[in-house]
Amino acid sequence: MWKRKRGREEAKKEKELKTHTEQTIDSLFNTLAKSNDFKSYSAGSSHYIVSYLKTMCEPKLLNQSILPILTKYEVYTLAELKNKLPVEATEITKDPAVVQEKMMKGYISIQLRENAPDVLLLPAITVEGREVSIPEVEFSVVGPKEAFVESLDKNMNLMRKRLTLPQLTLKEVSIGKITKTRVGIVYIDGIADPDNVTTVLQRLEDIEYDQIIDSSFITQMIADNSTSPFPQLLDTERPDRAVEVIVEGKIVIIVDGSPHVLTCPTTIVEFFSSSDDYFLPWPLASVFRLIRLFAVFFSVLSTSLYVAILTYHHEMIPEELMSTIVSSRADIPFPPILEVVILELTIELLREAGARLPTKIGQTIGIVGGIVIGTAAVDAGLTSNVLLIIVALAALASFTTPVYQIGNTIRLIRFPFLMGAQLWGLIGVSMVMVFYVGHLIKLKSIGRPFFAPLYPLRFRDLRDAFIRLPFNKQSERPLQTRPVDPVRFNVRRASEKRDVDE
Amino acid sequence: MNKISGKQGVQIPEQFLVTPMFVFFIIHSMQVGVGILGFEGYIAEHSGFDSWISIIMAGVFIHLLLWMLYNILRDSGGDIVSIHRDVFGKYIGGFFSLILSIYFLLLALTVLRTFLEVIQVWIFPSIRIEFFTLVFLMLIYYLVIGGFRLVTGFCMISVILTLPLLLLKFFPIDVGSVNYLYPAIEHSLTDLLKSAKATILSFLGIELLFVFYPFIKHPQRSVKWAHFGVFFTVLIYLATALVAFIYYSEEQLEHVTWGTISLWKIVEFPFIERFEYIGIALWVYVIVPNICLAMWGASRIPKRLFNANQKLMIVVYCAILYILTLFLDDREIVEKINTFTSQVGFYVLLYIPLLFVITKVFYKVRNQHES
Repeated sequence: MWKRKRGREEAKKEKELKTHTEQTIDSLFNTLAKSNDFKSYSAGSSHYIVSYLKTMCEPKLLNQSILPILTKYEVYTLAELKNKLPVEATEITKDPAVVQEKMMKGYISIQLRENAPDVLLLPAITVEGREVSIPEVEFSVVGPKEAFVESLDKNMNLMRKRLTLPQLTLKEVSIGKITKTRVGIVYIDGIADPDNVTTVLQRLEDIEYDQIIDSSFITQMIADNSTSPFPQLLDTERPDRAVEVIVEGKIVIIVDGSPHVLTCPTTIVEFFSSSDDYFLPWPLASVFRLIRLFAVFFSVLSTSLYVAILTYHHEMIPEELMSTIVSSRADIPFPPILEVVILELTIELLREAGARLPTKIGQTIGIVGGIVIGTAAVDAGLTSNVLLIIVALAALASFTTPVYQIGNTIRLIRFPFLMGAQLWGLIGVSMVMVFYVGHLIKLKSIGRPFFAPLYPLRFRDLRDAFIRLPFNKQSERPLQTRPVDPVRFNVRRASEKRDVDE
Repeated sequence: MNKISGKQGVQIPEQFLVTPMFVFFIIHSMQVGVGILGFEGYIAEHSGFDSWISIIMAGVFIHLLLWMLYNILRDSGGDIVSIHRDVFGKYIGGFFSLILSIYFLLLALTVLRTFLEVIQVWIFPSIRIEFFTLVFLMLIYYLVIGGFRLVTGFCMISVILTLPLLLLKFFPIDVGSVNYLYPAIEHSLTDLLKSAKATILSFLGIELLFVFYPFIKHPQRSVKWAHFGVFFTVLIYLATALVAFIYYSEEQLEHVTWGTISLWKIVEFPFIERFEYIGIALWVYVIVPNICLAMWGASRIPKRLFNANQKLMIVVYCAILYILTLFLDDREIVEKINTFTSQVGFYVLLYIPLLFVITKVFYKVRNQHES
């Protein structure tokens, strides 16, 4: 009963909103007039009505190019006026919806008299935004130092200047019932798989929500499995990385107002590859990538192995090592699991505190937490220093992931492992691992397998997965994206061998 | 007429198919289960250290059966349910298919119960079986409802993950004595055959091909991969057995129940020793795809027979497994199930040549009728 009533109320509200949008130009101006930054006055010799949102318009353009013309000439039609004005992309319309859309973006509207049906719209958009700066989340020592900003147009500009190809296509949709956020998908027509493009477009259009504040909203909404801890779209703030994947045949989603773009379809291994990998010679890059992968495993498994072995399988520790561990744990009143949970939570606290505080205080917190609390905890006999080393290393290792999102996942998934270890020792750890492997095989990114190139096994894609082979060996685009044109370059020409002294 | 309808029933949509290469992993991981952890004692019972010859004999036999399997399936173009329906009619054929389903369930039960036994003996003597089994079966359920592709993927991961365990064989070889293997071939052929029969039980699993054949893309191209899979299993068994024979003396071997696990015990690294804990923990990856495949096969047959909901069937079968595991809580009974399953498995394998002959005749007669 109550529900039905509420439903009816909602319907009523929706209707109200709708009537607001299906209004006349007159009522639009009335609605806008409630806001103090809306200006509407008559100006010029013919008393045109000039209306605009002060906060969205460029005053310079208005004062220098528009108002002088209005006062100078006396015209009788808007078309005449349009020709006189030295402003590009002007438009005359009767449609209130168009007027609303444009005015909200920062267009100036001019009417011949009050309540006239025809409106001349002049673009005078000014958008406040950040300048392009260096990447902070995905920092790299060498390589380009530009990062995306919060404007879709600027971001598009950053990509297009790196990829001057007419086939680079941007398809825009507006999402969000209230925010009407501009969301664009970018791909190369003729390389990207049309199926992927359709899937992404369809999923974007199917989004039902009132606001899209950031691209991470989109990640969660169009993910194939939104309850999974693993992100199924990769986000990046580096235009060079975005362009790189576009050329591979992937699709990039840009959201106006978000400095991170999303790339899809993606795979789990991609989350562990950084752009640095391509700036270094391939043997170095491969080794670093393997180290990073090892770090991830270490970060996830080390504490749970500690718990498993110390709780159930102490026979496994060799005698010499055992004495070290015994002496460090002799005074600890807690079982290993409690000890680990205390320390892990401490580290998580430090992380959260560090992330929420301004950079300068954040560093202090790190020092206070890391050194003072750590040493104090060991001195007080709450945790063993062996464990402190392991936990600190694990935390450090989890920071080596080049993509921030997967770092969060790693943070979280170690807790089920701890639980497994406490329940059934190594068998428990194994079982949790089985669960995650099964989960990863099940996962899809825009309908493409997320666990590739491991399963389905794709040898072609393995050339740029755990190790990175030299560029001349990567003559084909990854199979994951099912590119229309899979060939990157002519292998024969690239690998032409010359004889000695030729 | 029947043939066409039978074929249509097993058309699997493209996105659920697996490439021929994966048959290697499926066959291999279905064959290797808990048996390998302690089969040295069984096979040496009749022909002592000569039983490595029996492994080869059994391997050849399995290759032959595999060839027959592919022949039967190629002729019919469907799976076991449609073959049975074609050959024996709706009711008798359905009954036979159902028996096969129960047989797969029995395989899963044997593997699960034996692995629990291993855990009880080697790691947690006082583990609370009812809770552990429940969680384990929930995990199995989660994987099996992912469908055949997921189970296949898991087979591959399991094979790759457990391959490094083979490297541990170097430790016993290091301290063992090759002289134990001499004098070679001092047992009679009957002894060797008896051992071969005992070995065959470790090779059970190829009959699952009856069920998953329609899930292979270009099935006939997978023949070589299936044979590779069997061959690989033979190689691993051979290596395992030979290493055990090199390490243990013949009398010792009689008293060792879990030969391979005992061998892991001697592995020592500066930072870790008693490797059997890691070995058994890693063996979870061998057990899980094994049980998953068996459960998938078992639940697939009722789906094909009565159009039953496969998810529901998996739940039912998991529940049956759970209850049975709780009841069979005794070392001797576990031994008995193993022997029983071996016997049943042996007859199922013998059924393949029989079916081979029957289908050959049947399809020949029918084709003549049709033309």
